[in-house]
Amino acid sequence: MAVPSWQMGNLDAPAAKPKSYVVYSAEQQVVTAGKRSVLELHFRVVDGFHVNSHTPKSELLIPTQIVLQPASGVKAEALEYPVGTSYSFSFDPSEKLDVYSGAFTVKVPVVAEAGTHTIEGSLRYQACDHAACYPPKSLPVEVLFTAK
Amino acid sequence: MLNVKRNVLVFGVMVLGIALLLWAGWHNLRERRKAMQEAEASHVVLTPAKPGDTAGAAVPDDVGTPHMLGKVAPGFTLETLDGKKVSLSDFKGRPVLVNFWATWCAPCKIEMPWFEEFQKQYSAQGFEILGMTDDVDAGKDAIAKVVKKTGVTYPILLTDGKVQKAYGGLDYLPVSFYVDRNGVVVEETAGLGSKDEIEAHIKKAIASGATPGTGGQ
Repeated sequence: MAVPSWQMGNLDAPAAKPKSYVVYSAEQQVVTAGKRSVLELHFRVVDGFHVNSHTPKSELLIPTQIVLQPASGVKAEALEYPVGTSYSFSFDPSEKLDVYSGAFTVKVPVVAEAGTHTIEGSLRYQACDHAACYPPKSLPVEVLFTAK
Repeated sequence: MLNVKRNVLVFGVMVLGIALLLWAGWHNLRERRKAMQEAEASHVVLTPAKPGDTAGAAVPDDVGTPHMLGKVAPGFTLETLDGKKVSLSDFKGRPVLVNFWATWCAPCKIEMPWFEEFQKQYSAQGFEILGMTDDVDAGKDAIAKVVKKTGVTYPILLTDGKVQKAYGGLDYLPVSFYVDRNGVVVEETAGLGSKDEIEAHIKKAIASGATPGTGGQ
């Protein structure tokens, strides 16, 4: 249902920077030094929203994608994204999308030298709610782990 | 005696074959049903929001919303996909739907074919639609692909950043402004509505401001 203007919130409120629709939980992880290990990046899409999966059903939709910067002493392999959930807007159930909602985890296989490491990067995503979509956004991501 | 034994053997093989075929068919049907049930269980269809539980309610409080109702629609001159200049004032005295959309906006692409249908249906009353592409940086090729896929023939304009601000700063899409013959916004919507709602808004814009030519288009 489209939103009549009288339901669109406080129109006199000052404009502010929009919030992020995806939250990242940075957790310290421990892996075995010199051996292939898998780091997990935990994200949560804010309730009431969804983002396109890594493999949306249309080339014109923006996929959820993480770009990680090279880190000294860490060799990272291709990221492993979860499969999405089929989704459609109620006004057109025939149009199927592939999305993440709620919690989702992206895995990063690495081989790291002994020591503490930080991989910096960003998550690019494009969020929608049940009727509207929001411009693509980037969320900074910091992967902290120790290789023993 | 040998013939009887052979016949019994052939009959047995036939029965076994038929039984195998029946089992394979039943097994296949069961697997298909299971797969369909699994697909159904993982598919989400969102229902329309109730009043007070709308798209607006899900939008964070700090996201800007349009507030043009009752105001004169801001004028603009923009280029179409094929490089022609189009101004809102070109449609002075006619009801116009100004629809902001983007290539990344799935709900926008659901309503665009509906708009096309209504454009044809109400063209005799002078009704016109202007599709305002919000993400010009996607490139003309991507925009043209969406236009082709949705089948729209109404003008698709490339926005300049200023027009979004003039219409209240649009932080989410789709957003539509229904402008009457006097150039006044008589309805505005944010988010995907039903086809019936859209048609009702179009009828309202057509019926409103019957005296042409007094607005700010």
